[in-house]
Order: sequence, then C-alpha cells, then structure tokens
Amino acid sequence: MSTIQDWAHALMNPSPVGLIIAILIALTIPIFLHTVVFKASGLTTLPSILLLSPSGSGKTSLLTLFERGTPASTHTSQTPLAVECSLPVGTTASSDKYRSTHDPTSLTHKKFLLIDTPGHGKLRHHAQSSITNPQNLKGLIFLVDSATLSAGDEGLRQTADYLHNILLMLQKRSTGSKAAKALKDIPVLIAANKMDLFTALPAALVKSSLEAEITKVREARSKGLLDSGIGMEDEGEENDDWLGEMGSKEFRFKQMEEFDVSVEVLGGNVCGEEPKVDRWWQWIAERL
Amino acid sequence: MLDSFEILTTSGVVLWSKTYAPTSPSIINSLITSVFIEERTLPGAGVADDISAANNPPYKYDQHTCKWTTVKELGLIFVAVYRSLLHLSWIDKLVDNIKIIFVELYGDQLRKPHTTIVKCAFDDYFDQQIRQLEKTALNRDTKVAESTALRAEAPASVTQDFGNEPPPLPGILSRGASKNNYKDLTSNESTPIATPDTSRPSTPASHLLTGKGGPGGKGSRRARKAANTPTAYASSGDELQSKRDKASKPAVAKKGRKWDADGLADEDSDTPLDYSAPANGATSGEDEIKERPGAMKEIDQSSWGWKNEKGEFFLKDLDDQVDSILASATAKKTDTVTSSTGIVGSSISAIGGYFRSIVGGKTLTKEDLEKPMKAMEDHLLRKNVAREAAIRLCEGVERELIGVKTENFESIQTRIESAMESSLQKMLTPTSSHDLVLEINAIKKQRPYVISIVGVNGVGKSTNLSKICFFLLQRNFKVLVVACDTFRSGAVEQLAVHVRNLKELTAREGTGKVELYQKGYGKDAANVAKDAVTFGAQEGYDVVLIDTAGRRHNDQRLMSSLEKFANFAKPDKILMVGEALVGTDSVAQARNFNAAFGNGRSLDGFIISKCDTVGDMVGTLVSMVHATNVPVLFVGTGQHYNDLRGLSVQWALKKLMSSN
Ligand SMILES: Nc1nc2c(ncn2[C@@H]2O[C@H](COP(=O)(O)OP(=O)(O)OP(=O)(O)O)[C@@H](O)[C@H]2O)c(=O)[nH]1
Ligand SMILES: [Mg+2]
Repeated sequence: MSTIQDWAHALMNPSPVGLIIAILIALTIPIFLHTVVFKASGLTTLPSILLLSPSGSGKTSLLTLFERGTPASTHTSQTPLAVECSLPVGTTASSDKYRSTHDPTSLTHKKFLLIDTPGHGKLRHHAQSSITNPQNLKGLIFLVDSATLSAGDEGLRQTADYLHNILLMLQKRSTGSKAAKALKDIPVLIAANKMDLFTALPAALVKSSLEAEITKVREARSKGLLDSGIGMEDEGEENDDWLGEMGSKEFRFKQMEEFDVSVEVLGGNVCGEEPKVDRWWQWIAERL
Repeated sequence: MLDSFEILTTSGVVLWSKTYAPTSPSIINSLITSVFIEERTLPGAGVADDISAANNPPYKYDQHTCKWTTVKELGLIFVAVYRSLLHLSWIDKLVDNIKIIFVELYGDQLRKPHTTIVKCAFDDYFDQQIRQLEKTALNRDTKVAESTALRAEAPASVTQDFGNEPPPLPGILSRGASKNNYKDLTSNESTPIATPDTSRPSTPASHLLTGKGGPGGKGSRRARKAANTPTAYASSGDELQSKRDKASKPAVAKKGRKWDADGLADEDSDTPLDYSAPANGATSGEDEIKERPGAMKEIDQSSWGWKNEKGEFFLKDLDDQVDSILASATAKKTDTVTSSTGIVGSSISAIGGYFRSIVGGKTLTKEDLEKPMKAMEDHLLRKNVAREAAIRLCEGVERELIGVKTENFESIQTRIESAMESSLQKMLTPTSSHDLVLEINAIKKQRPYVISIVGVNGVGKSTNLSKICFFLLQRNFKVLVVACDTFRSGAVEQLAVHVRNLKELTAREGTGKVELYQKGYGKDAANVAKDAVTFGAQEGYDVVLIDTAGRRHNDQRLMSSLEKFANFAKPDKILMVGEALVGTDSVAQARNFNAAFGNGRSLDGFIISKCDTVGDMVGTLVSMVHATNVPVLFVGTGQHYNDLRGLSVQWALKKLMSSN
C-alpha cells in the first residue's frame, strides 16, 4: 500500500525530472506533428510531367531514355514510376527565359519529375488519379505507337478510346467545380512514337486519324448505355460527356482550346538507330 | 540450357539480363500480363509473395517456360526463360539464389527514389551460380557411377594435371580395380566422402582430386603427411597465395571473362585448396609445389596456365562472397524464426506493435492480419460473394500485405480495406474497353454483328436480350432476333411477344427495325443459328441476336451442344446472363459455361440480371468475374426495356465496400 502511495507522491510532486519530461513532451509534439504532416503533404515536389498511353507504346523506354541518354530494354509496367530528369544542355526552361546567362543558377539544369504510368487496361486508374490529384503537374505526354494506327486497326480504337477519356477528364476539370478550376490548365503533347519503323504513319496522319477515331468514339459514347449507378438511385448526376465543341460534327484537337487544354502532335522515336526526341524535349522545356 | 534470365522491376525496367538465345520480349510481357496483372493462373498473386521459384507455378508460353520469383518490397521480378522441352533440375535454385545475391548486392541502390539506374556488374556472379549449380546437378546425376568415374579419372589426371571437365565414363577398366580404389579412398581420406556437401562446388572436385592421387599411392601418402604437418602446408599455401596475388591482381578486372571457357576445369582442380579439409588442399597444393617446383612458374608464364591461375584466384574470391551471402540469407531465415522468443524482447515489441497499429508505421505480419482478414472475408460473404471467391480474394490481399508497413495514422483495418478495394477494382476493370456500338459500327455494311446469349434456366435470357435489342433499336440499327430455344415449349412464343412489343415501340419512335427469325421446335439449334446468320447477312441486318435454350451448367449433354453452336453461328460476342440473386453456385455456373465452347473460344462478357433486387449485395458480380476473368458488360436493373446499364466499376466498389 505504502509503495503505491510513494509512487503517487513521486508522480504528483513537482520534481525537476517530471518538469523536464513535461517540457520535453510539450516541445516535441509540435515538431513531431510538423514532420508527419509535411511528409504526408509532400509540399516540396518538383514540377512533373505525366506519361500515359496504351500498353506497349514506349513510355518506359522514353523515361529511361530521358534519364540516362539511351533507352533501356523494358517490359510491361505494373506500377507507376517517377524519375528525376534534368533538361539537356541547349534547352532552356521557359521560366528561365529572362535569366541572365551569367546567373550561376542557370548552370544547374532545370530538374523535373517524369512520371510513367502503366498502360494496361486494368491499371489505368494510376494515371487517372495523377490527373485528378495533380502535384505540380505541368503537362501530359500521351505517347502513341504510330505503327499501329492504320484505319480499322484495333490499336487505333484502343488508343483513341484512352485519349478520349483523358481529354474528357481534362475538359471536365476545366468546366467542373471551382476547386478544380483553380488549378492550372494542363497542356497535352501527343508524341507520335516509333517513327523509325517502316510502317509508322507521319505525325500529320497520326493527328488526323486520331481525330477521326475520336469522333467515332465520342459518337458511340453519347449513344452508349448509361453506366450503372447513374440515374438509378437518388443521385441524379447529369451526364454531360460530350468531348469538344457541342454539336460539332467532327472532333478536332483545336476544340479543346475552348477548355484551356492545348493539344500538340509531334513525331519522334525512342528506339531505333538514332533516338529522335529533341522536339519533345523542347515541348517539355516550354512548359517548365 | 537457359534461353535468357532477366531481372526487372514492376515498373517495367530491365535492370540486368543475360541472353543465351534470342527470345521474344513478348514471352515475359505475357507472363506479366497474365500472371501479375490479370492474375489468370494464381488469383491474388500480383508481385506480392517473396516465395521461392519452386512454389510459383511455372508459366508456359509459345514453347517456352518461365520460372519466376519476386521481391515485393523492392518491386523486383526474376525470370528465367527456357525451352519447355528441357528439364533443368537446378532452375529453381538458380532463380532463388540469384534473387538473394542481387538483393544483397544492390538493395541499397534499389531503394533510392526517383531513379531507375542500378549500376551492377552482375555477370560474374551469375556465371558463377550457373557453373556451380550445373555442376551440383551433374554431380547428383552421376553419383551412382562415381566410384567408376573416379577410377577413370586417375590415369588422365596424371598426364594432364589440370584435369578437364568431368571424365568420360570408363569402359575398359575392370571392376576390381575400381573397387579397390574406392576402398583406398574411403579408408585414407574419409572426410570428403563421409560428409558430402552437395551445395558446394568443390564436392565433385574433391572426389576427382583424391582419385587423382590415388593410384600412384605417392600422392596420397604425401597428402596425408602434409595434412599431419599443417605448418608446412600453411606456409607453402601462403606463399602460393601471395604469388598468385601478385600475378593476378592487375588483370583481374580486365580478363575476368576470358577464362570462362576453362572455368570448369579450373575449379575442378583447385578449389579444394581454398575450402575443403586440409587433406584435400594438401593433395593439390603440395603436389604441385613439391613434385614440380618448376611447373608453377612455367604455368604462370604460359598464357593458358596463367589465365587459369588468375581466373582461379578471382573465382575463389567470388565464390567466397557468394557463399557467405547465401549462408547469411539462410541464417537470417532461421533467425527470424527463433528471435522473438525472449520474454522482454517480445513484450517490448508487443507494446510497440500495439502502439504502431494505432499510429501507423507498423510492419504487418500474418498474425496481425489474421483477425481483420477474417472480418473482411465475412464482410464479402455478407455481400453475397461466393465463399471460394471471398477466400481467394482475401488470400491475395493477405499475401500482398504481409511485410508491408502501414502509413502514418493508418490502422490495419483501413489498410486492408484499401488493398481489398484496389484488388477488386483491378479485377472488375476489363482489360480493354468494350463499346458495343463502336464494334458494330466497325463492321457495319460488311456483315451482321452476331451476339448470342447463354445462361441457366430462368435467369432472364430473353428479357435481357430484349433489353439489348431495344437499346440497339434506339441507336437505329436493324436487328434480327433469332429464337434458338427449340427445346422448351413456349419459348418461341415468349420471344415473339417481346419482338412484337419492340416493334410497336420502334414504330412509335421511328428508329431501327426488328424482325423475329424462328423455325419452330425440335430443330438443331446450331443449324437454325447458322441459317439465321446467313439470312441476316442477305437481308442487310446490322445485328443478329440469338437466344439459346436455358440449360443447367452441370447437364453434360446440353452443355456439350454449345461447342457446335459456337462453331456454326460464329458469334462475335457470347454473353452469359447470371442472376444477381444466385449465391455460391455462381462460380460453377460461370466456369462451366466459360469452358463449354471448346478450345480457343470462351465467354466475352456477363450480363448480371436483377441487380435491383439485391441492394448492396452485388457479390455475384465478383464471383463470376473471379472464376473466369471475363468482364461484366451489362447489369440489368429493372423490369423495363430501358433498365439495362453498363457496369460502372466505381458504383460496384461503393456497394461492395459499404458497411451494412
Ligand atoms: N522501333 C521502336 N520501338 C520502340 C520505340 N519506343 C519503344 N519501342 C519498343 O516498344 C516496346 C514497348 O515499350 P515500353 O516502353 O515497355 O512500353 P510502355 O508504354 O511502357 O508499355 P506499358 O508499360 O505496358 O504501358 C519496347 O519493346 C520498346 O523497345 C521506338 O521509338 N521505335
Ligand atoms: Mg511501361
């Protein structure tokens, strides 16, 4: 009994040890919280560029090329991957345009995060969540395999379908709620890859055949079945899923400008004799 | 022999690879998509389990077999590809060992964020493993014939001191001689034979070596003597070592590959010097030095020998390192089993574990997961997910989570929920998008698009067919409805009523055109379907919708007629109607129907009917997809013709995860 009382005494007494412990706890809790919260929010992220496309179009190859200068061999991706890249010599980020060339900070090349996402149909939610919760996202690169885009090709249909969905997401962002609107608009580069291949379409053709196919997708989508959950129960979510200009017959990438989404199509190739990605670099540099 | 070995990350970058014969990248791509992403062979696998390659099912594709293992923590996949015809007994061991060595050597580099670059000079380690395992396997195979083999080696090695590859089999030698020799060996130097260490590369070598000294008698006696005087051995060994050191140092890195061809022979003759009982070491070391003092130098200078010497030193170094890595890995494994026995240690870790399970940052173990996983399983069962599917889903999630650290302020419960949600999402999301209108448009004007509907009795095949028909009519298509239920009386009439209703509706709205094609009862359904498709093509229909007779999925006779049906009608889409109400039976239904169309043909999608009657309990959706990997394309949500919806995965997830 007495021991318990002793303990209680010791605990209640304003002993120096107890005071020190109390002070320490009082001081460390904010610091602890600070570190935890900051780590979670990841405030100090670099500007980032998101890569996306159907499987096999060369995202991971492009990423390794940008990182190390030569493309590594790759296989189907299952997880997203972020890699720190820096702009190559000879390109200047647009934010550095007015910097003096003697400014020592211009010597360190502008760094950015390149984010690769898996293109497999089941794993596209990774890409979609990066668009809906962007972290300093400066642009999207949508790669297409120019060799599988001939008319009537399954590849063309799948590519157009994915691109349609992505553009629709961007469009909804700009027309959507205020919170989303506050975010900056995200430009899109359609990188027509694999130009080294004999069967590849030139960039202009890639553009027109994608536009034609997206027109079809858009049309079919507007005529498609409603998804389960919409209009079935209480929530009467209106279904405004028309991509581009309302009532337009043909879809054009130009129509996206109305929603502050600029779309550009540039050709190049990652593998093959000589990688040709200068124009893509240039595009990235202009967005940083 | 192997075709290739690759080490890649889950994000798709190949970190290291070795190719013996050119293989198509599509082999490994297909392994990744079917095993890891679509989980066709092993539900819930993903890159989750760090288990040995022997326990992962081998993946076969295009005459090749892949053996694989993964490291979840680092997101690594190790794959060996070889021709399916070959039988490589050591392949599992190779994949496992390479995993251990690679992770040990480059683990730190692999943990760095935001980079894919791993600097690795892994070739030598890999070659060493291949050599070692091949030899162990060889040793195991020839163990029976060992004694005779030894005899055969003897004369050869006298003349050719650095014995070549394992000897040719003896034919000329008498039995007596070989027996003698064997006896001699066992009596004199029992250690290497009494304790054969099969994991060591030196085992076969030691036998060969001792055999070598055997017949002369001189060598082995000397060896025994040397063994008894360890000082002499040690000093001479050191001398030898330092000499080699000098000789080899500068060239090690450069010529590391060149001696490869001779590597086997090399190791054969001399590794015992480095590892085995002194008796063995002495045999070779002493023999060389005492018998042929000049030979050492000679060999040192001659390019063959010199390379050999150098290579051998290099090898020894590598061998030691690899062995210690592998040994420490095994030690670690046993360690973790025994470590948590201390009372104080365990109670502290228990308190810490409790604390962390609230605050987060806890590394999950099987014990932590057991109870919440059980709760999750019950939750799924309550959602009408078939038991089999629920169990396997939970197993998959458990495998994924063991060894994972929870985030800050994340409880085990929420971690499991989010893991389950994402694995359900992955499962329900189809691999490629299916847009019926787009697909019909793609072949419009060439031929009609043929859709056939199958399912067990009374699930609503005709109703859902009518709903699809209504949807297509609204999109202005010309539809031919075919009554292929030539079996159940009243079936044709029932369909005729639907078509009459639809005709009225379309007449009112002025879109599309629909007709019924029927041949009464008793005819063979496959023939009717075939004729109908031909008729549809002639008359310029856009879509042919075929209704089939309902059948129990365990009725062999009726199920087997489906194969012929698929062959004759050649449907673009075979859709199966499943009832949302059905419980455990859903798995067997889906599986049997999916298998009924013969080789190379399977279901293309499910229609889950009567979803409006089950509320949140949409588990049938999960059970059916789980059993077959076939996506759900439509859900029926009511009694009216327009109560048909595409599946929204988000909607299904919300229902499945909601607590009730
Ligand atoms: N000829 C040619 N082949 C290329 C080019 N770019 C990429 N490839 C090849 O395309 C294949 C697929 O490339 P990946 O980078 O793995 O494709 P991915 O987009 O990351 O695919 P997922 O990860 O599945 O989404 C690889 O075999 C590349 O070698 C190119 O410019 N020309
Ligand atoms: Mg990839």
